[in-house]
Amino acid sequence: MATQLAPESMYRNDEGMGIWEHRGKVAAVGVGHSPTARRWDGKAETSVGAWSILALRRAIEDAGVSPDQVDGLVIVPVTTTGAFWPEDTPVPMDIVNSFNRTGDPLDGIAQLSSEWLLNNMPELTNVNFTMYGAGCMSNALNVASQAIGDGLTHTCLVLKAWHNLEGRYYQSGANAHDAIPGTAALKSLWGAPACYGTALQFAEYCRKYGKTHDMMAPFMTNSRRNGLMFPEGYWAQHRPEELTAEDYEYARWIAKPANLFDNDIPIMMAGAYLFTTAERAQDMKQKPVYILNHASSNAMPRSLTPTLDEVEAETAKTGRKIYEGAGITAADLSFENMYDGFTEFHQFHIEGLGYRGIKFGEALDFYQTDISIEGPNPVSPSGGNIGSGRSRVWLHTDSIQQLQGRAGARQVTGVKPEIAVSGGPMPLGGNYTVWSATPD
Amino acid sequence: MDMVRMVVGDGFLIGSCSDRPMSAQRAIWEAHDIPYDFVIPKHMLADVKAKFEADRYFHVGDREDLDKKYALEAGFEFLWPDEAAAMPWFATKDSSDA
Repeated sequence: MATQLAPESMYRNDEGMGIWEHRGKVAAVGVGHSPTARRWDGKAETSVGAWSILALRRAIEDAGVSPDQVDGLVIVPVTTTGAFWPEDTPVPMDIVNSFNRTGDPLDGIAQLSSEWLLNNMPELTNVNFTMYGAGCMSNALNVASQAIGDGLTHTCLVLKAWHNLEGRYYQSGANAHDAIPGTAALKSLWGAPACYGTALQFAEYCRKYGKTHDMMAPFMTNSRRNGLMFPEGYWAQHRPEELTAEDYEYARWIAKPANLFDNDIPIMMAGAYLFTTAERAQDMKQKPVYILNHASSNAMPRSLTPTLDEVEAETAKTGRKIYEGAGITAADLSFENMYDGFTEFHQFHIEGLGYRGIKFGEALDFYQTDISIEGPNPVSPSGGNIGSGRSRVWLHTDSIQQLQGRAGARQVTGVKPEIAVSGGPMPLGGNYTVWSATPD
Repeated sequence: MDMVRMVVGDGFLIGSCSDRPMSAQRAIWEAHDIPYDFVIPKHMLADVKAKFEADRYFHVGDREDLDKKYALEAGFEFLWPDEAAAMPWFATKDSSDA
């Protein structure tokens, strides 16, 4: 049977749902990452499919289980948001045929299916549950958490992978046509750069609260610093360059007031986790990190781009859902790893959380304080997409590693890592996970 | 870098103009032990022309939409890498070094 996209009933979209019924009964144990690259070099062994297999195998090994113990697979089938296979470019069939292919030649090249992965991972002999999460690892994590809690799987791999091709991001695929059906034409075909909507919200934010773009600099330098301590990340692996306040402030505008570094760098990578029940996790190789809650935002803006008012209302609502289902308050958070790939909505996320008591309009002032991993108020210790490239995965890997005490040079030292939250992507439309070092 | 080294000390003002952070540009020059006169973000090339007086201004780049566009807007002459390599100051030095 073909793998299905997770039904809406698996997500916790609403307030008033109470404590998550599986709170503390699901755990992340294993982490696996592929290498990173700026773009695909056309070789089979560096294809998004090959790197996905590598990441999955590393997650299995990291957890210390045998492949035949795995009975579930939740993946995100889409592997790009802006590097679509050019319609006039032949698919390299020698690469396609070097794997156990499916009926779609782009499987493993510019997209993924559970069928393709299972065809090429013969050691996964007992997978009887597969499901797709939409868009992001954040989404797939919610699906896997709920699936394990509901008893649909007990040892589940979760995967998100990214390919990147030659050419400019967001310029290929449907965007290369003269026409696109529906409102997408207004945004993707004739509209401004992808960061435009966030830039517009940020401009209004600065006007409303009397802030400036330069006030983002400490957040940017801190995020890159953290990323350079993330050995799995792109910048650490390929371009170990700091990002100074001067670098940031002089960068060219992409959609003013969003500049070059307010946009993440598209890369190739695959990240995978092994999730299981709290009981089974006790016998595995790594320290379990328990899931206290998952929450989602499925809000739709009234128009093409959400207004600042809509953003603030929704991030506040998301914060309430996160805390309600986990049975915690903002004061319980050791750190936050909310999404940053556009940088200018990170402050919306953390203001919605009320992280360290900050209110709307206060995050940029908060950035001027000690937000480092050594301080009492760590902001994005993963470094996010700014620190390691466009993946939407680092935030989760870091949360798990921090709570397991194996974040290496990136390990937070100013706080005891006990409870964390990660997720995204957008203020309107995202998925979030609350992680804990203990099940209760 | 080898091309740049060939003209160091011959009256050329040398620098880089890139989307790479200025700190990273400086680090690259310093890692190669090449003295440089400026580093600048891509869109600020005009500032170089304003700051330094020279007979001619060239920008070597590999992007039509970004390098060439900004270079011409800033009043620089634009050279693709292969065109730059064929310029006489490189060719003459190359043959004399051979």
